[in-house]
Amino acid sequence: MASSMATMRERLSQAPWGLWWIQGYRLTRIELRRNLFSWRAAWIYFLAFVPTFILLIHLVVDRHSGNSISEDTSILAGIVQLYYIRLGVFFGCLGIFSRLIRGEMIERSIHFYLLSPVRRELQLLAKFAAGSIAAILLFASAILANFVLVYVGFGAAGSDYIFNGPGLGQMESYLAIIVLACLGYGAVFLLLSMMFRNPTPAAMLVLGWEAINPILPSLLQKLSVASYLRHLMPVQVGAEGIFALLTVKTEPVPAWQATLGLMALIAVVLFYSCLRIRKLEIRYTTD
Amino acid sequence: MAVYKRSYRAYEGPVTSPAERILVLARYAWAEAWASKITIALFILCLVPCLISLVGIYAANNPLVRSLINGKASELINVDAGFFLKVLSGQCWLALVLLSWVAPRVITFDLADSALPILLSHPISRFGYLFGKFLALFATLSIVTWIPCLGLFIYQGYTSTLPWMAGNLRIAFGILAGSFIWIILLSILGLALSAWVKWRVVATGVIFAAVFIPAGVGAIASAVLRTRWGFLLNIPYMITLVWQRLLGAPEHFNTDNFLPNGSIACMLTLACLVCFAMLNQRIRAREVVRG
Repeated sequence: MASSMATMRERLSQAPWGLWWIQGYRLTRIELRRNLFSWRAAWIYFLAFVPTFILLIHLVVDRHSGNSISEDTSILAGIVQLYYIRLGVFFGCLGIFSRLIRGEMIERSIHFYLLSPVRRELQLLAKFAAGSIAAILLFASAILANFVLVYVGFGAAGSDYIFNGPGLGQMESYLAIIVLACLGYGAVFLLLSMMFRNPTPAAMLVLGWEAINPILPSLLQKLSVASYLRHLMPVQVGAEGIFALLTVKTEPVPAWQATLGLMALIAVVLFYSCLRIRKLEIRYTTD
Repeated sequence: MAVYKRSYRAYEGPVTSPAERILVLARYAWAEAWASKITIALFILCLVPCLISLVGIYAANNPLVRSLINGKASELINVDAGFFLKVLSGQCWLALVLLSWVAPRVITFDLADSALPILLSHPISRFGYLFGKFLALFATLSIVTWIPCLGLFIYQGYTSTLPWMAGNLRIAFGILAGSFIWIILLSILGLALSAWVKWRVVATGVIFAAVFIPAGVGAIASAVLRTRWGFLLNIPYMITLVWQRLLGAPEHFNTDNFLPNGSIACMLTLACLVCFAMLNQRIRAREVVRG
């Protein structure tokens, strides 16, 4: 046991970390440019910033009274929980992360990557990093803008809520939720894009799974990205209608535990993706 | 060897009528849609709720079963407009799943393989081409929406101990009209998005996103701007209202969010017109070659 640990340590110390870092950095930079600064990425900007635009109209058109801060706080929580997590980040990550591998196959350009003298796991992780950075950059800045636009209209009461009240803590929680959502959905969609020729039906199953997740037993709820994120929400938005009757109230999970649980899920999915990409074969005639 | 002068002469034999040409396209599109095993699996999945409803109708009309189910539980399986609204809603949402798989299959291959100029060089118009594809989608979606729903309606009329069918003809009309509106909207949307996106992988996701993302945006607009008109972007909400009103089922949405029929009709027509504009832009006998 001790000898195998020593061998492992020796192999790790002898690995060309410097070279891997440069290769990963350059691959990430290329992918990041393609994900952020191309016309094809315009729709992700739309997904991220459309609530910001509506909040801007609200700021310009509507009057803000101090009494409606709590109402606007609930609306912001609803936007994060019901729009960003369920739709915006979901479809945004589906587009970004499916394109990283499957998009290259459709464009018949993935062989350039596979033939280059770069480890496949490194390519996968670099692509994942690029997709994650792009998604986090867009959605986190949208959340930040939304937060500012919600409270800036209240003037002194708004700034008091942010700096002397629970505002800053809520903003930190929203940012953490968005970062984890991007990483979680990103890892899942990257894996799906390698497993299926058309990953969208599987992604729709994931969407359905996430939607019915609150009514599942607590053990099955652990196999979902949204369930971990629900525990991190600073303001709870309750289910309405028939779903309120069917929702299974699980034990409240501490934030650190929910974060660790989701990180573990991401690590497992990425590890399996690394194993799969080692055996990835392409036939452009069938793919 | 003798060389004869050969000049072009138009074909003078019998030709098929324009309507038949459209049916040829529809037939091939139908075959393409059903060539996939996933289509068949989805079709079977779409029929599962109908089978459950069939059992429900049997149970509702069987005195023995009703006597076995005590008290309030027996009221749960009352077969009325509300029951058929649930069946129709379920079938129509499953039709969206089927469409997201089938619509890209019937059109993206022609566009991705640059086959459109060849197809349109035949004596068939752009409208004829699209109408042929539309017919294939209409038929595909019909067999999971109004056909099984009307089958259930007839079965209820047959098994009911009381004269039921004549008094509830509005439900049958509602099923037919509601399904037609949904199928036409979905088919045009599916064709437009599949033609626009070109890649089948992406088109499947875009069809879902085009239904649900505006719904989310509309809900945000309604909540933030304190207006009910944001729901005009919410296709699921609007179409559920249409089904409720056509079937005469009790409306279970908040009355503050009431939308008049005229505004719903205008919005759905506008969505179709946008789709037509997209199709007009994409379905052309041309090939763009980028050097």
